Amino acid sequence: MDRFMTGRRATMLAGLAALALPRIGTAADDDMLYGPADPQARRGGRATIGSLVEPPALDPFRQAADARIRVSVLMYQGLFFEDDSGIARPLLATSAEAAPDGKSWTFRLRRGVKFHTGQTMTSADVKYSYDFMRDAKNGSPGAGDLSMVEAIEAPADDVVVFRLGRPNAALPMTLTNKYGAVVPKDFFADPNSGTRMNEISVGTGPFKLKQFRPNSVLVMERFADYWQPGLPHLDEVTFAVMPNSAAMAVALQSRRIDLAMFSRPQDTQALERVAGVEVKRWPSLNQKTVDLDCNYGPLKDVRVRQAIALALDKKAVMDASIAGYGKVIGTMVAGMQDAWGVPIADLPNQTVDLDRAKRLLAEAGHPDGFEIDLTTIIGYDWMDPAAVTIAEQIRRVGVRANIKRIELGVWIRNFRAREMGFTFNDWGTTPDPSLLFYRHFRAAPQGADFRNWNHARASELLDRGQEVSDPAQRKAIYVEFQKILADESPTIMMFSSDLLTVNTARLRNYTQHGTGWYFGLAKAWIAA
Amino acid sequence: MLALIAQRLAASVAAAALSALAVFLLVRAVPGDIVGQMLGQTGGDPTAELALRAFFGLDQPIHRQFLDWLGRTLTGDLGTSWYQGRAVTTMIWDAFRVTLELSALTLLISTLIGVPLGVWAGIRAGGPVDTAIQGFSMFGLSAPVFWIGLMLLVGAAAVFDWSPPFAYVGPEEDLPENLSIMILPVASLCLLQAAAYAQFVRGLMVNELRRDYIRTAQSKGLRPYAVYVVHALRNVLIPLSTFIGLILVQILGGVVVIESLFSLPGLGRLILSAIQGRDYPVVQGALLFVVLIAITINLVIDLLYGVFDPRLRT
Repeated sequence: MDRFMTGRRATMLAGLAALALPRIGTAADDDMLYGPADPQARRGGRATIGSLVEPPALDPFRQAADARIRVSVLMYQGLFFEDDSGIARPLLATSAEAAPDGKSWTFRLRRGVKFHTGQTMTSADVKYSYDFMRDAKNGSPGAGDLSMVEAIEAPADDVVVFRLGRPNAALPMTLTNKYGAVVPKDFFADPNSGTRMNEISVGTGPFKLKQFRPNSVLVMERFADYWQPGLPHLDEVTFAVMPNSAAMAVALQSRRIDLAMFSRPQDTQALERVAGVEVKRWPSLNQKTVDLDCNYGPLKDVRVRQAIALALDKKAVMDASIAGYGKVIGTMVAGMQDAWGVPIADLPNQTVDLDRAKRLLAEAGHPDGFEIDLTTIIGYDWMDPAAVTIAEQIRRVGVRANIKRIELGVWIRNFRAREMGFTFNDWGTTPDPSLLFYRHFRAAPQGADFRNWNHARASELLDRGQEVSDPAQRKAIYVEFQKILADESPTIMMFSSDLLTVNTARLRNYTQHGTGWYFGLAKAWIAA
Repeated sequence: MLALIAQRLAASVAAAALSALAVFLLVRAVPGDIVGQMLGQTGGDPTAELALRAFFGLDQPIHRQFLDWLGRTLTGDLGTSWYQGRAVTTMIWDAFRVTLELSALTLLISTLIGVPLGVWAGIRAGGPVDTAIQGFSMFGLSAPVFWIGLMLLVGAAAVFDWSPPFAYVGPEEDLPENLSIMILPVASLCLLQAAAYAQFVRGLMVNELRRDYIRTAQSKGLRPYAVYVVHALRNVLIPLSTFIGLILVQILGGVVVIESLFSLPGLGRLILSAIQGRDYPVVQGALLFVVLIAITINLVIDLLYGVFDPRLRT
């Protein structure tokens, strides 16, 4: 594991160096897409993956659910691959070049790429797909990320040009696989196209959809005309929905499934002693946070938010909720800390200081503390022990938390309505600071500013971070932003939990991507 | 009798109408909607949200939405699922067939096992056979269905190196495959139901065998078969028939858990996932369907009372 981590850090630094150049990656990186290759890999076999969540639908353009992204990345592809080292590697593109003023990007496309429908991909399909996605009227959650795009041109069959209203250094990382993909031109002319995507896949990915039976299984089969030679190795991948972690553990023991991802280490401990299964830990690009709505009761006062931050012992919260299987963080997800983070010691409000917290509360007019609701989301197992621990910790400075559990749909409504109050949150990112921060913290209307922070300097920095392409300058901008974020505490980022996978010994070479998505199945294989 | 039928039918129609309204309002009373689910933690430009809201008709006033839905429902059109794009009636029927098969098999097998066990225990009351059967009942009634299901999965894999397939296949498509999918879920549910039957029938038998007519039959020198089966069991069957109704309700409750555990795409899971996703047409249609089943069962029972009890007919 250590060797793996060191390797990733080295790649991450190499990635940063590449970002300084106008070109981002080359097709020579192809071997690194979807994880390391295994020379012993053999074709054939079926793998079954157990999952606690099921995609509500498979449309990559109009479904934000993480459960959808996890699986759809195997069927649909964007222009780039979000390598968790932090570099955008060419996927359907082969190269990227930014104009000196940063206001246009030219992408060369891979030739001979086939859609699952049998058609050959051209620049017209790419233009059509991203035009569809960026038109907000089509309801894509990814439209906001492309708001700076003014026009997309297709001057040649294998060239597309994105013209921007203002520069965006994160554009290649935006054109990855979270939202949208390249699909055949005019696919959406059919008004039922979204639901058609539950019956057929029309992407260019290594697997194509065989059967999606909601509430039961999702089956994908090997795409014979896939453009990466020799991939994928598996003939078929089945995703089965399971009711809870215990059922997944039993299914692994009985070899009913070959792979499962677990959110709590407690659930995998028993499996560590079982012969024939392997438990693995992977660094993640997710973060567990406490969000503080700057429009909510006492949290409106920055001193109150600072006092809460000063009362929190993040390590204790992490130990209670995920048994220490993660990394305490300051203001950056663990997987991006080396490249973009600020050392925790250099950030304000990171160490427990109860006296200062009490003083701040008194100055804010709460010498005896106050009562506040702290919400957790039903089904997010880590939040409940974290909530109890935090309630104990902030009680030491007089803040009395009433823990309330709410259903995910209700939570999303509150979040989107910017009425989140004092709540836990669990979010991940594609590995670029602009994609991590912009939407969440840029003041409206450019950003969503879910926490009603409305901070002028922070917004200015987020704009500049998007515009500047020099990595050193970008880093300096995000360092300043993170210091403000830590000081003002509209959110308290606590820890990144490791991703835990358990696989049967017969499933080989599965690499877990830091986002938690199943990219690694493209290179996994089954030993006889 | 006709008056009774007319009265009960009118009451059922009124109940169905009220249920339709309640279902419609309850579904919408839960905060959050499909648009929020689709867009997740994204935001900023409200265009996407407005466009999606208009697409799903959520921009219309609520009474308008209700009347639209009611109008279509009355013509038998429950709409299409917002996520799947399939007709809700088809989705309900597909899911109901799974639930129905699971329930029917469970009812049949648990009756065939539980009733004879109860009779046997009743006849041998106080003996070792009775103790063993009561032990079985105690275990079956106290072990959670979910746990039984898990243990059967582990056991089948350990002993036979076998696990049921994940992808559901209907009995008409491939009967052996269907049965291999159904065997463990049915076995899990049967244990509880057979135990409940055995316990209930044993009590009835013990009571019945103490009655005078049994002593008379025995003293007349009738063969044990005639005493137990022809006389005692026949009298036990009357209360048993009402008990079967209770068992059916219990099975339908347990089915939701078992459907989850064994990844069976039944009615319980359909409703649950539709609620979580705020897929209103599916939730409304499926809940209304469940309500109509309940109303129909009640109507049939009411009418059967009329058949059994002449006083109700006037």
